[in-house]
Amino acid sequence: MPALLEIRGLSAGLQGRRSVTQVVSNVDLDVRSGEILGVVGESGCGKSTLATAIMRLLVPPQVLQSGSMTLRLNKGSSYDLVKLSESELRELRWRHLSYIPQGSMNSLNPVLRVERQMTDTLIQHGLSDKEARSRAIAALELVNLEPKILYSYPHELSGGMRQRVIIAAAVSMRPALIVADELTTALDVVTQRQILQELIGIRDELGATIILITHDMGVVAQIADRVAVMYAGKIAELGTVNGIFETPLHPYSQGLIGSIPRESGQRVEGLLGEAPSPWNYPTGCRFHPRCPKVFAHCRAQTPALQVQASDRWAACHLYDAEVAADA
Amino acid sequence: MRDLLVVENLRQIFGGRNQTFAVDDVSFRIPAEPTIVSLVGESGSGKSTIARIILGLLQPTAGRVLYDGADIAMSGRKWNRKFRGEVQAVFQDPYSVYNPVYKAERVLKLVIRKFGLAKSKAEAQAMMEEALRAVDLRPEEVLDRHPHQLSGGQRQRLMLARVYLMRPRLIVADEPVSMIDAGMRASFLNILQDFRDSHGISTLFITHDLSTAMYLGGEIIVLYQGRIMEQGATQTVMNAPLHPYAQLLISSIPTPDPRRRWDEDLSAAPLAEIGYGASAGRERCLFADRCPQVMDQCWGARPRLQAPKIDAVDSAQRDVACYLYE
Repeated sequence: MPALLEIRGLSAGLQGRRSVTQVVSNVDLDVRSGEILGVVGESGCGKSTLATAIMRLLVPPQVLQSGSMTLRLNKGSSYDLVKLSESELRELRWRHLSYIPQGSMNSLNPVLRVERQMTDTLIQHGLSDKEARSRAIAALELVNLEPKILYSYPHELSGGMRQRVIIAAAVSMRPALIVADELTTALDVVTQRQILQELIGIRDELGATIILITHDMGVVAQIADRVAVMYAGKIAELGTVNGIFETPLHPYSQGLIGSIPRESGQRVEGLLGEAPSPWNYPTGCRFHPRCPKVFAHCRAQTPALQVQASDRWAACHLYDAEVAADA
Repeated sequence: MRDLLVVENLRQIFGGRNQTFAVDDVSFRIPAEPTIVSLVGESGSGKSTIARIILGLLQPTAGRVLYDGADIAMSGRKWNRKFRGEVQAVFQDPYSVYNPVYKAERVLKLVIRKFGLAKSKAEAQAMMEEALRAVDLRPEEVLDRHPHQLSGGQRQRLMLARVYLMRPRLIVADEPVSMIDAGMRASFLNILQDFRDSHGISTLFITHDLSTAMYLGGEIIVLYQGRIMEQGATQTVMNAPLHPYAQLLISSIPTPDPRRRWDEDLSAAPLAEIGYGASAGRERCLFADRCPQVMDQCWGARPRLQAPKIDAVDSAQRDVACYLYE
């Protein structure tokens, strides 16, 4: 299957007075057309920086250091998002790629009705008032909201409804790629379930591709097709959701999945230690200080993300035949 | 033995003309034996209000809370000191409880000083180190740091170390793990279990996350719009909930297993609107408007919380407020 978005060697960081502190390092990732890709990891692992880098929405002191991001749309047009100018990006955003930032349900303007907030962008993209309105209504329908919501003010809506309005606005131009950051984190479980199921509906209906950034392994298990596990700014493991949950290869993925509280009486130990901050990423494999399977090589050499099985990539020396033999 | 905590017909009504029933006639008890009781519900279910009333931070509109047989509204310096020492709180936000200008050790030192726990500096130091080890923190990693240098998980465990110093009988923890990483969650919950098993400390654990309640075990109380819908042994209720609301809530947990996905599509179901019903129209089952099994009588009067009349071995272990089981 062709990749809708092909990310190669993407690095982003924080500009300091003298140097750049790298937050996201050398990420290679193919996002396949029509999939829901879950990006998981602990807080501070670079998930959100990756999302904003994809959207080219990094703001100083954040900087995009290197890499390419090729977006291939079905009409045969392709763009390297890294090279586009601000005005070219403006054309692409909402129309072809849209972004739902973390906590965005609280970013609706309290003094404007939902209608204005939904149609403004559409009108900016060249639609007439009437077209914009019917697009907005169609988008609301995707998230099971009635058209009358257009006349509401944000404070009249519950958290779940506000999140739905945000999703509706994001999909109103029928984008090819949707990047959603912690979409359901602040919501109750029943609402979370409804919204996630609506998201699947949106993917099916619009044929959209969705990158879902979350720290919740349960959410990923329920709706993702594939999972990318991030640790300290790098992708530790990538594979199908079944594969990752059943046979996680990277010791970090193993720890992450093993530390999920499940049944009572079955005690699980948390992941030991703390995730490093970008100012002191360890040398070699960045997970080595916390890794239960660490060996000498891990401290010196950075493992590359390599194919381990069909549809599975992991960045770990344990699966590096030559290195493992030395150890 | 006297129950550790008894909550009797608690009611909290906010507002004047548009009354909000945050807590509507809630009664439960925490026995004297060390137990973990989880209070679960969606936002607006009244769980945090109950916590605040139990901690004495809020005067209830009606009803009372008995701690060790005495009404907590009772005043008196001596009693207050006992209550403040024996009942400890852990709150949701591990960031806002610290004063950023002081080092982390201050939260421990203050407790030792205020409650006169140690006779000498050396003893105080030894106590702090023991408390930190009890919560899996290394003293050298936290004591000399400022709060912003610690992770959320470390800060929240430091609060537990503070609680440990006091050796309370009851911890009231309001959403303590919702802001910390999944990897750290399990270790925080393990500490609460250790406190119960090795030190006889009970916990009232307030959460919207049912999977953590499941992991903790003990007892569970399911709240909806200020009322108890179902309560009983956590394992019994979680494995086979009886109340349709508890069923909906439990089936909506995102199970971390891609082979056990949600089977039914709820996306087109009527939206869960949190209506804090007005005073009129509360003499009914509050879940009636969303309930798939609603009957005529559900609209007539409030169902009582009682043991379900069903032929099941576990029916004695729980109470349900639903006409289906009367």
